[in-house]
Amino acid sequence: MTERLERLLNLVIALRETRRPMTAEEVRRRVAGYGQPDHEAFRRMFERDKADLRALGVPLETRRVDRWSDLQGYRIDPRHYDLPEVRLDRDELAALALALQATGLVDEAGVGLLKLEVDAGEAAPHSPRPVVGVAFEAPPHREVLLAAQLTRAPVRFRYRPPGREPSARTVDPHALVHRRGRWYLVGHDHDRGESRAFRLDRIAGKVTMAGEPGAFPPPPAVDVDDVVPAPAPGGPETAEVVAAPEVAWLVARRARGGGRPDAGGWTAYTVAVGDRGDFLRWVLELGPDLEVRGPAELRAEVVERLQRAAGGGR
Amino acid sequence: MSRPASTLQRLERILTMVPWLLDHPGASVEEVTARFGLSRDELSSDLDILGYCGLPGYGGGDLVEAWIVGDRVTVRMADFFSRPLRLSLREALTLLLAARALSGVAAFPESPALATAERKLTDLLGASVAEAPVRRERDDEPVSPRIAVDLRAQGDEHLPALREAVVEGRVVRITYRSASKAEVTRREVEPWGLSGSLGSWYLQGYCRLVQGPRDFRLDRIRDLEVTDEVTDAGERPALPPPAYQPAEHHEQVVLDLDVRAWWVAEWAVVEDATDRGDVRRVTLRTGEREWIARLVLGLGDAVRVVEPPELTEAVAALARRTLARYRAGDGP
Repeated sequence: MTERLERLLNLVIALRETRRPMTAEEVRRRVAGYGQPDHEAFRRMFERDKADLRALGVPLETRRVDRWSDLQGYRIDPRHYDLPEVRLDRDELAALALALQATGLVDEAGVGLLKLEVDAGEAAPHSPRPVVGVAFEAPPHREVLLAAQLTRAPVRFRYRPPGREPSARTVDPHALVHRRGRWYLVGHDHDRGESRAFRLDRIAGKVTMAGEPGAFPPPPAVDVDDVVPAPAPGGPETAEVVAAPEVAWLVARRARGGGRPDAGGWTAYTVAVGDRGDFLRWVLELGPDLEVRGPAELRAEVVERLQRAAGGGR
Repeated sequence: MSRPASTLQRLERILTMVPWLLDHPGASVEEVTARFGLSRDELSSDLDILGYCGLPGYGGGDLVEAWIVGDRVTVRMADFFSRPLRLSLREALTLLLAARALSGVAAFPESPALATAERKLTDLLGASVAEAPVRRERDDEPVSPRIAVDLRAQGDEHLPALREAVVEGRVVRITYRSASKAEVTRREVEPWGLSGSLGSWYLQGYCRLVQGPRDFRLDRIRDLEVTDEVTDAGERPALPPPAYQPAEHHEQVVLDLDVRAWWVAEWAVVEDATDRGDVRRVTLRTGEREWIARLVLGLGDAVRVVEPPELTEAVAALARRTLARYRAGDGP
C-alpha cells in the first residue's frame, strides 16, 4: 500500500501549506494520488483518508473557504499540527519509559514517547527487564470523558449497577479516579441531583457529550476519598478485638496504635471498622483466631452470624 | 520490527522520524534504525516514498529529497515536517496516566522526575483536545485534568526494599501467612518482580519452600529480610498476573452468589459463571477447603454453597470453633 502512504503524506503536506482551505475538488485536482476520474470513488477515498488522519491526531479542520463563500474547505493549521516544545530531560524520559513499561501501556503510547524523545533530542535509556509491573488498564471512554471534563460539557451514558437494569444518566464529569484496580467517573449526577461515582466498566455502550462546552462551572475540589472509599479504613468507628499470636501482626495493620498483651499470649487491639460489611467479613475470615470484644452490638452481630453458619452443618 | 507495519503505522513513524533526520543531517543508518525500531530495508523504503512527496505542483523545487549514501541518511526540503506531530489526546493522556500511576508508588525513586514530566505533559494536554477549546476562567489558568490514580495498598511499605532485592537478584527471607492455609511459614524466595493488581501488591518469585514459582501478597508478609545471597538472574519466565491457579485434581465447588458477593466471581479464578436473575452461580476448584470455608463464612448470607456438602459442614465446623471462643469469653 505504498500508494496510499504516499497519498496521505502528500495530503498532509498540501493541507498544511495551503494559504486558504482547499475544497474537496481542489484536493482531487491538485494533490498527487487523488486524480480519480470517478467522483464517487474519490469521495470514498478522501473520506477514509480524513478519518484515518484525524484518528492519528492530525488536526484536520473544516473551514469556510473564505468570508464571502459558503463553500467548505480543509486545512491543517501548522500551529495545531506541530508538537509544542516540551523539552523533557533525560531523567524524565527514562522515568516515563519505565512508567509505560510497568503499566503495560507501551503499545498505546510508545509513539508518543518517541515524539517526546525527538523533541528532547535525547533517547530514553533502554531499561532492563521490568522489575515492577502494575495490572493497570487505561480507562475505557477516556478520550470523551477527559475532553468533556476539560471543556466542561455534560456526558450521557447508560449505566448498569450490579443486578439492576441499565438506566440513562447525565453527568457533569468532575474527575477520573483509579482505586483498588477500578476506574471511576466522579461527577454531578443530574438525575439524582448529587455527586456520585460511576464504575467505568459498568457503563453500557458509548459515552456521548450531552451539552455545550462551558455548561457547568469549574467543579469544587473533589475529595476523592468521600466518593470512592479509600483502601485504608478511615471512619471514626472502632472496635476492640483480641487476636491469636499467629494473626496478631496481620490485625496490627488495621489497628489504631499498638497492641496490648492479653490472656493466653493473645494481643488486644483497637481497630478501625470502616465499612461494616467489609469489617464483618474480615473478622469472620479470621475464624477462631480473632474475637471481637466490643462494642457489644458488633460482637452480638458476629455471634449471630456464626450461629447461623454453625446451624448449616448436619 | 517483527511484523510489517501497517500504512498508518508507517505514516506515524515517518512523521516522527523526519523531524529528527532534519535535525541530524548525515546520521548513520545504524543510529536511525536503532532509534526508530526499523530495519535498513524498511528505512530505505520509507525514504523512497518520501522522495515522491512534496508540495502540489511536484516540480523540481517542490519534492522532498531523501536518500541513503553509503552509510549516511539525508533528508532535505521537508521543512513542513520540522516538528513531530503533536501528541494525540489518547497518547498524551496515556503517558500522563502512566506517570501518575507510578509517581505515587513508594518503590519508585524516579518519582521526582515523573512529577516534573507530569507537569509538562499536563500543559500539552490542552493542546491535544481537538476542536473544542478548553474552557478556562482566565487565560493563564493551567489546564489541569482531574485524574487520580491511587495504587496505595496495605503492605506497600515493603516495596522499596523488595525492589532493590529484585534489581540486585538477592534472596529474601519472609515470614508469610498464606491465604489458603491460614498458617504462617518462613520462606526463602528468589525474587523476580513486583506486581500490583486489584488493590494489592505481590512479590513474585521462586519459592524454595515449595520449590516453584509463587506470588506473595505484601500485606501478608510479616517480616522481611533481604539477604546477601545473590542468585543467578538468568532467564525467568514471564509471570502471569497474580491469581490463584487451580489444578485438575482439586475439589470442585459450586456457589450461588447474590449481588453483594458478585465480586468473588471477578476476584477468584472461576471455571464457569451463569446468572439467574440476581444470583450468579460460579464453579471453581480449590485444593484448600479451609480457605474456601473461611471465604464462605465471611460472606454470610450473600453466598449459598451448592456443592459439595462437605464444604457446608466445614463452614459450620469453623463457625462452631469460632463460637466456642466467644462462649468462653461470655462466661462468668
